[in-house]
Amino acid sequence: MKSLHFNLHAAGVLAPGIDSLPALRAACRAGQQPTSISSEPLPSPSALPANERRRSSQVVRLTLACIEQTLQTSPFPADAMRSVFATDEGTGEVCQQMLEALATTRQVSPLLFTNSVQNAPSGYFSIAWRNRQSATVASLGLESFASGLLCAVTEAMSTGQPVLLVAYDPAMTSPMDELLPVRAAMATAWIITAGSTATETPRLASFAFTLEPCETSSPSAWPEWLPESWAAHSSARSLSALGLLEAAPNTVLRLTLGAQLLCLRRIDGDAA
Amino acid sequence: MHSAGHGVAALWGAVERGRSGLRPNDLLWCDLSGWIGAVPEVEETALPTHLHAWDCRNHRLAWLALQDSRFRQAVTAAISRHSAHRIGLILGTSTSGIRSTEIAYQQRHETGHWPTNFEYRRSHSVDALCRFAATVLGLQGPMVTISTACSSSAKVFLTAQRWIDAGLIDAAVVGGVDSLCLTTLHGFDALQLLSQQICRPFDATRNGISIGEAAGFMLLDRAPAPVHFLAGGESSDAWHMSTPHPSGQGAQDAMRLALANADLTAGDIGYVNAHGTATSANDRAEAAALAAVFGERGVAVSSTKGVTGHTLGAAGIVEAIVTTTALEKQRIPPSANLLRPDLDLAPLDLVAEARSVHFRYAMSNNFGFGGSNCALIFGRSD
Repeated sequence: MKSLHFNLHAAGVLAPGIDSLPALRAACRAGQQPTSISSEPLPSPSALPANERRRSSQVVRLTLACIEQTLQTSPFPADAMRSVFATDEGTGEVCQQMLEALATTRQVSPLLFTNSVQNAPSGYFSIAWRNRQSATVASLGLESFASGLLCAVTEAMSTGQPVLLVAYDPAMTSPMDELLPVRAAMATAWIITAGSTATETPRLASFAFTLEPCETSSPSAWPEWLPESWAAHSSARSLSALGLLEAAPNTVLRLTLGAQLLCLRRIDGDAA
Repeated sequence: MHSAGHGVAALWGAVERGRSGLRPNDLLWCDLSGWIGAVPEVEETALPTHLHAWDCRNHRLAWLALQDSRFRQAVTAAISRHSAHRIGLILGTSTSGIRSTEIAYQQRHETGHWPTNFEYRRSHSVDALCRFAATVLGLQGPMVTISTACSSSAKVFLTAQRWIDAGLIDAAVVGGVDSLCLTTLHGFDALQLLSQQICRPFDATRNGISIGEAAGFMLLDRAPAPVHFLAGGESSDAWHMSTPHPSGQGAQDAMRLALANADLTAGDIGYVNAHGTATSANDRAEAAALAAVFGERGVAVSSTKGVTGHTLGAAGIVEAIVTTTALEKQRIPPSANLLRPDLDLAPLDLVAEARSVHFRYAMSNNFGFGGSNCALIFGRSD
């Protein structure tokens, strides 16, 4: 297949010990895993109206905080972007609380149910920034980031609009973490466009990717600068992908996507 | 696969006559009152031995739908034409196989141990549906599960179109599956959106939804066909997590975008299959949006949820199948269970009995929690 191209204009990172894009790039450059990987409490999302803020779940706080960080360097207004949210099990503690209620009293609160849909973060994002554009939630287990990137880039290509891609995993609480060992919440946010944008639009880098059948090569090895336990987090692959900003141009990151490999490389841009 | 029968012909037969597949809740594992659209066969269905690890209510429904021989022949032909690597798989679901985890969690709660045969990844995981369907159909192209509540399996059409247009794939299997579970039954009950009667979309006496379960699949290809998917529009309400914008602003955006993307005007559309859930707020907002886009009584409208129930993440595909069949047959299905149209809503040309008319284009609306809206436009190719 032909390769698809996209531009990265801004990115944000929120993971234990890596709380910004510069921090991610430093960790990647040094080839060192974050030293402190205890999770900081997630901030209350200031962009939401006060009544919604109080009711926001951990995953809503996680995604909105990461988006807020990313918007600080975005060349596009928040309400002009389409959005793609990519996650494995995107409800985290809410899923466990729902199951607990159903296994015991069967008394489910209206708020708990409302927060139990996979698209709660994208819904709150649209409310917080009055964004009336399309919002989509893409999920494919540990390959959720690759499938979300595919959705985001093809949306940017077909509409000509900038797209906000948010890759995230809320921490799973006990006992659900016995089934899905996602112990640390993490998120990245990407603001991308496809095709040629105005040259004055700030840009971090440009990327290209192809899809190739799995049998042609193997997925990339887990990067040494990310904790091995994060391999169980779909969104950690988006941290790995942002690491391409520190790699030599045309270094290929191969991510599994079903029976395909998404082969991603940085093709130009100011990677410094 | 739906509560009114097995297959497209059974769905159309029920929808055209307004014959409901809903019945009072008789599930042994849920004591809520109200009406449901259950698929009777699903309890006794067994997956073949090599697929046992995937067993859950959602995949049983999917499996029953995937037995359709015409669909399977079409997929097989597409694989030989394009190769399995060039066919995408884009499916919608809201709760996937969560019923399995509900059962397993109960046991974990009581005994401290998960059932030994419980596999989260192959039942409840959001992507399980895609991986199960890919295994059954032998597809090896890129895939994704879309989970945006009740718009999930409408949005799959737009994702497929974008992947085909980008040259990533030559064809796509799209669809959606959602199955009855305590999560949605008790969840909608908590929101007081579950009707105690059979659901009556756009009726003056409507008081909520009847939840149904369904599985549906379609093959999208550039090859000639009697009906085409033309375009769609997607938007967000940016208003409230579980209540639509009162004048359906987001719904209007989605419908207008769909028309613009299809190069059509409102006057070209002969029929709208409404989201029409039968909640007070949805039908009011949707009627306002329809009147704003098409004019008062500007287009024939019906909701077929009185037949199938609200199948949540499968509603998009079920109603896309209804809409394309209506175009093929040049028949507009009625809004089932209608007693007395709600005159307090913005005036609609609400279809009370099936009509035979000539129309070339039709729209299907689906709106979901999180203010997620999607409108699809289909057209006859002649």
